[in-house]
Amino acid sequence: MATARTREQSASTGSAPARLFAPCRAACPVHVDVPGYLLAVAEGRFSDALDIVIERNPLPSVCGRICLRPCEDGCRRCLLDEPVAIAALKRAAADHGVYPTPRHPKRMRPERVAVVGSGPAGLTAAYDLACLGIHVTIYEEKPRLGGMLRYGIPNYRLPDAALDRDISFILGHGIESKTDIRIGRDITLAGLRASCDAVLVTAGLQLSRPVPIEGVDLPGVLTALPFLDAAARGMRVDVGKRVVVVGGGNVAVDVARTASRLGAREVTMICLESREEMPASDHELHDAETEGIRFLPSWGPRAVLGDDEVTGLRAVRCTSVFDAEKRFAPTFDESVSTILDADTVLFAVGQGVDVADLGVPLTQRGAPVHEPGTMRTPVERVYAAGDCVCGPTKVIDAIAEGHRAAAVIFRDLAGDDRPLVELDADAIAIGKVPEHVAHKLERKRRIQMERLEFYEACDSFDEVEFGYTQYEAAREAQRCLSCTTGARLTREKCAACLTCVRVCPHDVPSLQAGGYLYFDLDACHACGACVSQCPALALSLEGTSEAEMSRKMQRALEDHSVDATLAFRCGSAPGGFLHLGKDTTTLTQSCLLSVSERSVLEALQSGAAKVLFAECDAATCRFPHAQELVARSAERIRSILSQLGMEDAFEVVPVEPLEGEYLPWSS
Amino acid sequence: MVVVTAKQLDEIVHMLAGRRRVLLLGCNTCAAVALAGGDREVETMIQALQLAISRRGMTVEFVGGVLQRQCEPEYVEAMDAEDIDAILSLGCGAGVAMLAAQTGIPVYPALDTLFIGAAQGLGSWRAECSACGSCVLGETAGICPVTRCAKGILNGPCGGVNDGECELGDRPCAWVEIHERLESQGRGASFAHENPPKDDSAGEMYQWDLSAKGGSR
Repeated sequence: MATARTREQSASTGSAPARLFAPCRAACPVHVDVPGYLLAVAEGRFSDALDIVIERNPLPSVCGRICLRPCEDGCRRCLLDEPVAIAALKRAAADHGVYPTPRHPKRMRPERVAVVGSGPAGLTAAYDLACLGIHVTIYEEKPRLGGMLRYGIPNYRLPDAALDRDISFILGHGIESKTDIRIGRDITLAGLRASCDAVLVTAGLQLSRPVPIEGVDLPGVLTALPFLDAAARGMRVDVGKRVVVVGGGNVAVDVARTASRLGAREVTMICLESREEMPASDHELHDAETEGIRFLPSWGPRAVLGDDEVTGLRAVRCTSVFDAEKRFAPTFDESVSTILDADTVLFAVGQGVDVADLGVPLTQRGAPVHEPGTMRTPVERVYAAGDCVCGPTKVIDAIAEGHRAAAVIFRDLAGDDRPLVELDADAIAIGKVPEHVAHKLERKRRIQMERLEFYEACDSFDEVEFGYTQYEAAREAQRCLSCTTGARLTREKCAACLTCVRVCPHDVPSLQAGGYLYFDLDACHACGACVSQCPALALSLEGTSEAEMSRKMQRALEDHSVDATLAFRCGSAPGGFLHLGKDTTTLTQSCLLSVSERSVLEALQSGAAKVLFAECDAATCRFPHAQELVARSAERIRSILSQLGMEDAFEVVPVEPLEGEYLPWSS
Repeated sequence: MVVVTAKQLDEIVHMLAGRRRVLLLGCNTCAAVALAGGDREVETMIQALQLAISRRGMTVEFVGGVLQRQCEPEYVEAMDAEDIDAILSLGCGAGVAMLAAQTGIPVYPALDTLFIGAAQGLGSWRAECSACGSCVLGETAGICPVTRCAKGILNGPCGGVNDGECELGDRPCAWVEIHERLESQGRGASFAHENPPKDDSAGEMYQWDLSAKGGSR
């Protein structure tokens, strides 16, 4: 995968100029064009947003729900208030958009590839290879595809229906799948190799073991993965009233919340780590806490108690988990101990690889031997990728592994390294929001998503989070600072008029010694003021152009009668997606500045009887400095139309909030 | 720079009557900076003219283009004007003249040329020079009496000044400003003499078409 670096690092290595990414995009292991799809969501174009996500991530429904979102840690809004809800907006794209029609390659290639395991890495690799024209068959040991996504992640976080949407999109690319087949048991690896040109092993981590202490053989001692698997298949595992979960990671949280849904009244998580060190993500811990899960950090299990069945767990105080070199080396104070009553003890303390019967050489910990760069195993034409070789990682890391595996296999089979070169291309993140800009930016809290109340949530496996409505999603997406999508200058066209310098509220363009115009992209938030005023059309915003606007208008007008009204609506205007009247077709823009005088005249020439500017108001405006410029532009349009005797063909209308409508930003 | 502004559409449409394929040509120097003749204005005017023409039941095909400077023969020579039967220039008068001289096809002005001015902020300019051919700005502290004084007098202020305002009531008196600035620069005494009448024949010292000064008009 392309590596993200800071600009300073890039400068110091003096390498070729790298791609400049927004920090969210740079932090994402697959570099999804986050600002690109957030803009599409902000403008209500959910299908466009979904297209953009799928370009780099074929599992939008999945990642929109359960991604651990490194992108949000990088979000430059963190410095102002809270990061944009990037993952939730990916889900909104998948919920409200239409999945693209599978693109079938112009010609199929002769090669065949077998993918062993259908988790995120396997699905992604299969998808990439199929897009490149290779015949792919996925082999899955379990009855349905999805791997850990289906059998490890509980339904209340990732319902089967959401996973199925992604999987059916992927399979739509002509991928075959064979379930209930374990390679090494039902088919030998040699047999598989004989039937195809390459085998990719993405078996994941399927084993979980208890900590080797006294009493773990008692009935009532369970391990995480079989437990979650059974729950995922709809079995009502009887856990009794009191459950103790050993482990402090995200899997342990899933286990604890699942146990509570299976009827446990008292669920306690104990782990070696202190509360601050617990590896589970903060929002998972927060959700578990609201559902009544109790945490007991800094305890090490010593024995499971009970004669014929579990009655409790004895633990001692853990004084530290890691040594000075940050290696796992727990120390205990045996004099401090506690006994927890329990009907069931669940161990969620790490996972192991289960490929012993596969027939590839294994490392000490049982993983396939492989060379990380090429992903090759010592067995010819057999590759391994994902958690089975990397250890436990995030879903999005596994997707990145899948991309890489597909690229190296394609290079080896087809002799074409373009997909690999594309993955390895360098990317750097832009810097922080400069102080002089930060204090000018409006503070806007994240829009809270509706979710089940905790007392409803812990009674069923229904999905807890409802997802944003279209309106909420557009509003939340408008919090994006649009990093790196801002002004691009084509120097050859520049007339050096300094109009951009005069209209920019953030001093992005500045005149340097010698009359050189410099654009500080760290400060730019793509409001489009300079682009809208540049007389030489030397400036542009990424992802927007007059040609694109022209296409959007034609599409919008196609479906309407000759007397249609075309309304350009500011995305920050209240009123949701209400229509502004009969036979009015609406194009939502992130700001009306992106609608040029030319576009308005073109719309009238293309058959619109009238054009409206549906404005936001001061309370919701995203770019206050733009109001004067939009007013100037409207005045100019009026002047031209009055010369043509068409005064009535254009109007600026304020959009009133609907009765009772809540305005998330204005309060 | 030369400040220009767009003509009324009616006047332009009238000029173009009977033309089949018209090139709208912007100028990426003064006219672009004056926000009236760059690529953006070319695109906008094409749309506006198309609307105007179609409402009159006429058909004219418009194509757009921009020269770096219309008033340079080299730029004009490098231009592609194939199958064009008229040019609508979005440049200043000098651009129109150069295009007409170089191309041999009818050239029409889409803009009115206003003055030589300096920027006052976004979309605003003030006339500062009348290109008279014999500059006195050194003596007048950089404020041109020919341009900024309503009467264009070389010795002022006149009797019409009222509290620093011109008797026209729409501008400050240029001569009051000149004296104040000279004073502030410690040059107050330098205007103790009278300026002789300007030599408007300055340009005639040269053959008119070779004159570097432009000359008398």
